[in-house]
This record gives sequence, structure tokens and C-alpha cells, in this order.
Amino acid sequence: MTVYKYFIKMALRNKWLILSNTLLFFFFAIINTSGHIQEEMSFIETKLNIGIIDNSNSPLSNSLKDYLESKNNIIDVSPEEEIIREQIFLQIVDAVVVIPEEFEEKVVSKEKVIEVYRDDRKAESIQIEHQIEKFLLFANATHEEGKFDLNAIKSALSEKVNVNMIRDGSRGIDKGTNEWFRYYFNFTAYVTIACYISVIGLVMADFNEYNIENRRKISSKRFLRFNKELYLGQLSLAGIITFIFILGSIIIKGKYIREINFNIYLVNTIVFSFSILCLTFLINNITRNKFVTNCLSVVLSLGTSFISGVMVPQQFLGDKVLTLAKFFPTYYFVRINDMQTSSLLGVKNDIFMQLLFGLAFLLVGLYLSKTAQEV
Amino acid sequence: MKTLLRNCIYQGKNLIREFGFSFWCLIYPVILATFFYLAFNGMMDIELEDINIGIEKGNRIESILEEIKILNIHKVSQAEVQEKLNNGEIHGFIDSDLNLMVKESGINQTIIKEVIEQIKQMERLNKPIENYDFEADHILDRNQEANLMVIIFYSLVAMVSTYGIFGGITVVSVIQANLSHIGVRLNVTPLKKHEFLIAGVIVGLALNLFANGILFIFIKYVLKLELLNEFKYSSIFIILGNLFGTALGMFIGASNRKSENAKITMAVVIVLFFSLLSGMMGPNIKVVLDKNIPILGRINPISIISNNLYRLNLLGSTRTVREGTLILSLYSILFIFLSYLFLRRRDYDSI
Repeated sequence: MTVYKYFIKMALRNKWLILSNTLLFFFFAIINTSGHIQEEMSFIETKLNIGIIDNSNSPLSNSLKDYLESKNNIIDVSPEEEIIREQIFLQIVDAVVVIPEEFEEKVVSKEKVIEVYRDDRKAESIQIEHQIEKFLLFANATHEEGKFDLNAIKSALSEKVNVNMIRDGSRGIDKGTNEWFRYYFNFTAYVTIACYISVIGLVMADFNEYNIENRRKISSKRFLRFNKELYLGQLSLAGIITFIFILGSIIIKGKYIREINFNIYLVNTIVFSFSILCLTFLINNITRNKFVTNCLSVVLSLGTSFISGVMVPQQFLGDKVLTLAKFFPTYYFVRINDMQTSSLLGVKNDIFMQLLFGLAFLLVGLYLSKTAQEV
Repeated sequence: MKTLLRNCIYQGKNLIREFGFSFWCLIYPVILATFFYLAFNGMMDIELEDINIGIEKGNRIESILEEIKILNIHKVSQAEVQEKLNNGEIHGFIDSDLNLMVKESGINQTIIKEVIEQIKQMERLNKPIENYDFEADHILDRNQEANLMVIIFYSLVAMVSTYGIFGGITVVSVIQANLSHIGVRLNVTPLKKHEFLIAGVIVGLALNLFANGILFIFIKYVLKLELLNEFKYSSIFIILGNLFGTALGMFIGASNRKSENAKITMAVVIVLFFSLLSGMMGPNIKVVLDKNIPILGRINPISIISNNLYRLNLLGSTRTVREGTLILSLYSILFIFLSYLFLRRRDYDSI
């Protein structure tokens, strides 16, 4: 097992490459941990993130503020217009409401009085507009003898409607948990491709180096045995990397595993890992140049991740982009994670496609390897 | 001056011929911009979509709902409700008692709920209809388009502007006798190292700026995205990004004895990490970090460049220009100074 031993030794020389990719991955996984777990047993009103700047501090403005606070999440905002606009631009707040000093007088005279910073193209802008206009409509309707009847408004606004949610038979309670696992495992696609191609590729480039190959040819080591040990080394390395990612999900969200169909994520990750290992095998037979291997690692990992729905959900991608993505196993890997089905039978086609890609990469790689031997 | 010019020409030729430089500075940014465009283009153009409401024929609030522009009314029988909700044809169904039926929680469903609530609340307020002025408009609209996805492109531009890092690494590696053959020759000739170094910095900066130009042309004319509307300060940030990148590259090149490949990998990882923090892989990361560790966005060089680029070009704000240019300049001076400390008076007993 000399070849196997040296393969692992050389792979571990690139430990910083594996570590940096893995640490980066876990960093983002942990950043995305917060705020995702949310159970949805009944209808939950969408609360907007809004900022309120009250320059009036009158009974009417305070009442409006109380109402908006009861319907939305209040975010601290700066009174500077540049900062307000940036917060809207970055979607930190959905709207910022600025109440002027002569608020009550202008409401009575039905002037345009409240400044609302928002993005007109979003449904959130309709919601905040509706809330403000409704409150002021009620305020004017109750305005008699120079006074607003704020208690009557408050009482009216407490009237609610019943909202019933229909059930479609799926397990609705684990939406948030599933979302986290979906994101986590989708992102493993990027790191898996980057790690396999760069680390295994760099080690194989050393093994395929002209002088080493010549030495191997005149040695007593049989070619088949030599290759077997190399492939075993690749499998071991891929197994360790895949195991780390699976273990990571268990460590970070282990207590929620029973709420989701973890087996599907598990099988999908292992099949994808195999498929990318085969792709790495193909690349190693195409090029021996370390620089080209590095470039391919970066371009393929980032490229397939962007077009297959790792970074952006597939539903937001155009048809042409998705058609292109279908030529890579990442597309089928992400599709399974996004499906959130309860049985393995439901994803058998996509699993099969990944295996088929793996097989195709392997066969082409073997053909190229054989051709190279004949030269 | 003549020597400097000659050095610039030779080093320029050397750098252009290097595949590493051509790939990382010229090809890679264009590939990345294309991927970003393919992935995010559909998410940048938001359009306000109508909300579809299902009601039974003869519902007493039908005429009220029809008055609201954003609502699309569908006549649905009780038997069809479940199916239409499940396949997304309607966002909610309002029955004759003004109860709402939905499939999921969301902004559209919340808006429908608030519309029905208003009808019920008016009944409870019990005021004559002439007291209500439905034509009154109390809102002064201050529209500001939200476009989180464009941050990704500005982060890319910021990242690419620091790719002078590769030129910086190369030039420092070239002049060190223990790292390159040219370095060995240089050290036994009367050529001055600092002249060679200055020429390398000039060439690295110029070629990376040229590569940045190619990227901007590609983004503007091929992808048809208008990223640079403000030229003066934007150019300053891109030039400072180049200077910072080259200075950091020189520092990486001078501070250790690893191979040039290892140094380039180190550079890629460092720049990529800073870019990820600035929102290149997903702007939500930037928003989360800005909220929890705001100082990070003010000291991360890629964030400084990308934040200022979107502020200048999309928000017309110059409030952080001075701070940004100052921090980037300080970084550049610091790395050049440290590189100088590593490189000065370096002698070799044997090579």
C-alpha cells in the first residue's frame, strides 16, 4: 500500500486548502443558523420592518405609532435621508415613515402629510400605505369639534377576521428546519467540487508528472495495482470530506434531524460526492497542469453552483440557465434537496441522473487514460 | 527615467505572457460576471404583481374589492376553493361571512386580510359613510428602489480591482534570488532593485486597471448593466483598490518563502474571503454582518470599495468617501512599508 500511503500523505500536504474551504463553509452555515427555525401551525401575519420618525409627538401621531408598532417590527433608523435611502436599498427596512410637526392640522385639512420612504415595486409598500391610509381615514371620520376619537379608532382597529389555513397533507411544521438543511446541503455542492478538483487534482498532477510516471513504468509495481491504490486513496479522501460535511449538519442541527427526511439528504450527498469524484477523475485525465486544475476547480465550483441553484433558488433562475444547468450533476443534487419529498422513490430519477453523470465521466476518463497510455 | 521605462516594458511583456495573470485578471472576472448575471438577473427586476382573490358569486363586498387596483377578483365555487388555493391560482378565498381561507402565510395573504378587516372595522366604528373621504391621500411618496442583488456585482468589481495582488506577488518573487532565476541574475548585476520594484508596481497597476476596463466594457455592453454613473470618486476607489491589491501582493510575496503558486493560492483565498464578507456570494451575508458586526464593513477593504461604489452610483451619497479613501490609502502604505522591511538589505551567501 505504498502508493495509497503516499497519496494520503500528499493530500494532507494540501490540508490548508481543505481546511480553508471547510471553515468557510461552516462559517456560512452558522451565519445562516439564526432566525430560520419557525413553526407554522396557523396563519402568521407578515410583519414589515419599518422605521418611524415622529417629529410631531401629538396624541394622533402617538396613536398612529402604536398602531403601526402593533402590526410591524420597528427598526431604529437615522433621521438622515441618505441613511434612510440606503436602508431601504439594502432591504434592512421595508419602509420609513416620517411624521411632520404640524401633523394633526394637515390630517384634518387632508393634505399629503406623511413622508413614506419605500420601494413602490414591492407588495410591502402597498401594505404600509394601506395601514397608514386606513388609520387616517378612521381618524378623519371620527374628527368632531376639533378632536379625534382615538379610543373609538383603537377599538375599531382591534376587530379581526378569522383566517383558516387549508392542509395539503404535507408535514407543515418543519418548514424552517427543512429550509436550513436545504441551504446547508445545497452549499456542500460548491465546497465538494472545489475541494475534490483542487486537492485530488493537485495530488494526481504530482503522480502524473512525467519523471514519476517514467519511474513507475520501469518499477515492479503493476499498473493495475498502482491505479487501485490511487483510486482507493481518492475514495478515502472523498469519504472523509463528505463525512465531515454530514457530521457538521448533525452537530449544528442534530436535534432537528427527526423533523426532516435526513436519509434523503444523506443518500443525495453520497451519490453527488461519487459523481464529482468521477468528474475529478475525468479532469485529471484531461490535464496534468496544476494551474489549469486550479482554474477548473474555481470555475466549475462557482459556475455550476450559480447556474444550478446553490446560491439562488432554482425558481428564480431563467429557463435557459436551468437548461444549461441540466448538463451538470449539481442541478439534480439541488433539485432533490429542494423537493423535500418524504421517500427515496420520489427522487429516484434525479439520483439516477447523478449516477449516470458519474458513469459517463468515469468512462470518458478511462478512455482518455487508455489513449494516453498508448502514446 | 529611461531605465524605469525599459523595466516597465520588459516586466509588462513578462506579465502579459504569464497565463496566471491572463486568467485571474482578464478571464476569471468575465466568467464570474457572466455567472452572476445568469443567476441574479431575474431577481433584480422586481414588478408589483396583482393579488388574486377568490370570492363566491354574490359576495356583498365584491364591488368594494373591485375598486382596489391591486386586487384581481376570481369567481370561485366552494368546491373549487381547495384546488385553486393549492395550485396558486388564488392567494386567498373570502367567504360570505368575511372569513379568509389561505394555503400559506405571506405578504399577499396579509394584505387581503387587512382589506377585509378594514370593512369589518368600519362597521364597528359605526360612522356614517359620508364621514369617510376615500379620495384623500395623506402620503408623500419618497420612492427608493431596493436592489440588494446589485451588491454582488459591486463586490465583484471591488474584488477584481484588488487583483493587482497577482502582479504584486510576481514582481516581488522575480527580484528575490532564492525564488527565481531572474532574481539570481538581478542580484549579481548593477541593476537597482528598487527601480525594478517600482517598475513592477507601475506595470501591475496599469495592467490590472486595463483588465478592470475590459470587465466594465463587458458588463456595460454585453450584460447591459449600468453600474458606473458617477465617474470621479468611483475611479478613485478602483485605483485605490488596485494600489491596495498590489501592495498586499508585494507583502505576501516578500513576507514568506513559499512557492509562487502557494502565494497565489493564498492571495485568492484572502481576496475571496474578503469578497464573501462584502456580499459577493449572497448579499444577505453583508446585511447580517453589517447588523451584528458593523465595524467589519468599515475595515474590510473589499467592503469599503463595494459599499462606496453602490452609494456613489445608485444612491448619490458621498458620506463615506473620505473615510474609505483614507483607510484604503493607509492599508496600502502599511503593506508597502512592511514589504520594504522584508526586502531591504537581503543578501544571499549562496543560492
